[in-house]
Amino acid sequence: MNEPSSDVKRGIPPEALEVMKRIDARRRHFSRNLKISLAGMVVLLGVGLVVLGLDFKFMGKWLGFILTGLGFTLLVSILAISLACVFSVIGALGRLSRNPIFNAMATLYVSLIRGTPLLVQVYMWYLALPQIGGALQDLGLVGIQKYLTLPAIPAGIMALAVCYGAYMTETVRAGIQSIKIGQTEAAKALGMTGGQTMRRVIFPQALRVIIPPVSNEFIAMVKDSSLVSLMGVWELSFRAIKIGRRYFQSLEMLILVAVIYWVMCIILQTIQEKIEKHMARGERGEHG
Amino acid sequence: MNNSKVMVKIRNLHKVFGKDLHVLDGIDMDVHVGEVVSILGPSGSGKSTLLRCINFLEEPTAGTIEVDGVAIKAGEKSSDHAAKILDIRKKTGMCFQSFNLFPHMTAIGNVMEGPVTVLGQSRKEATPYAEELLDWVGLSDKRDEYPSRLSGGQQQRVAIARSLAMKPKIMLFDEPTSALDPELVGEVVDVMERLAKEGMTIIAVTHEMHFARDVSSRVFIMDGGNWVEEGLPEEMFTNPREERSKQFLAHIL
Repeated sequence: MNEPSSDVKRGIPPEALEVMKRIDARRRHFSRNLKISLAGMVVLLGVGLVVLGLDFKFMGKWLGFILTGLGFTLLVSILAISLACVFSVIGALGRLSRNPIFNAMATLYVSLIRGTPLLVQVYMWYLALPQIGGALQDLGLVGIQKYLTLPAIPAGIMALAVCYGAYMTETVRAGIQSIKIGQTEAAKALGMTGGQTMRRVIFPQALRVIIPPVSNEFIAMVKDSSLVSLMGVWELSFRAIKIGRRYFQSLEMLILVAVIYWVMCIILQTIQEKIEKHMARGERGEHG
Repeated sequence: MNNSKVMVKIRNLHKVFGKDLHVLDGIDMDVHVGEVVSILGPSGSGKSTLLRCINFLEEPTAGTIEVDGVAIKAGEKSSDHAAKILDIRKKTGMCFQSFNLFPHMTAIGNVMEGPVTVLGQSRKEATPYAEELLDWVGLSDKRDEYPSRLSGGQQQRVAIARSLAMKPKIMLFDEPTSALDPELVGEVVDVMERLAKEGMTIIAVTHEMHFARDVSSRVFIMDGGNWVEEGLPEEMFTNPREERSKQFLAHIL
């Protein structure tokens, strides 16, 4: 199993080396051709846009204005995903809890949020919550309406965080449950409490399982953050749509904003791959 | 031997899984300080369950277990029940058939985990003893390797070092060599044997004959959730009294 590689090399006959070389060449050709194909398709898309007669000057002129909305998009997405992570961990612990009340709360949360459209939830936070505040105020909770009347951005962040938190609850729960029981037993045998076992042994391993799906959720959320435009926040897509309508050049603006989202998601995907690679340490390497 | 201190005292231990799977049927057992006990028996006889009841990885259904003076009665409703279980677990080390090393920690990280997380030592405080233990199991050079890069025998030796880092009073071995390739069994048994020579109290569920016959001070044979017989290893292997013991030993010898 662990012989030095020089011994192995000496024993490989020339015809085997020939086969190995061919397999290697085939693999290298594939990855080269894949890159060429991808680049070709992107160029083709670009050419298509030129043929359509897009007004690139117009796009260039408004690029800066639209990019100013990027700040809102990133602010909303990053705060919302951070909150969603917190909600999902609490939710997952609730779903796995043996405390009936805590468990029921988590189950209800996931069921209710997953069972209603995000669009409705956004309006709920923005338009309906103040009304609830009013009703509570009438019941005698003086001054509460002020706190339940959220400005557009906090309302959007809460809506996204609560919604994605519910979806991610199930991801986190599945990640925790995917860790073998032997790990819990080894931790307990050392004398760890339940909390220590979760924090030191289960969660770090579950994280490796949950990071890819959570990154997926984040990429989806960056795009769903455009829903805050419903409340009049001047984020990316809101700006693009406004300008497009005003000058009757919606195509240019929509393509421009689509490309911005796309580039953003490609960057996020690269970061995701980096994190995954980092998390994979300790796993058996290819040559294991 | 019988006037020395009792390390583990088990009285009338029962374990029922589900509604009617009666795995342990009224076990009594005394293990004294420094004794090395091997438990043998056909699969499904309850050996592993007994071992796992001692450190409460399985909650017994009835009976009492006492480890180093800490006694717990099954089903008791005392407020310090959980604390007593933690106490017993700190006094006991356990090695599993499937090693169960923490895959996200290096060898030394695994060994330090107990002292750091459970005993609250700093990593710096815990490092020298962890290194000493890795050296003792012969794995100094694997200090910074992750478990996936270690052979089964090496993993089990790290697991032993991990348990020893808690300075346990007693070690429980649950078929520690059953998952190993035959040529790797020796290195693990060798470590167990050295541990026995240093005076550690050991209860091992094992079918490894060298350990059971030459290292143990007493051998128990179990079937159907209770003892068939117990005795000194030389008597048990050459001249078992019970018919069931003879049948079983004929299978494995």
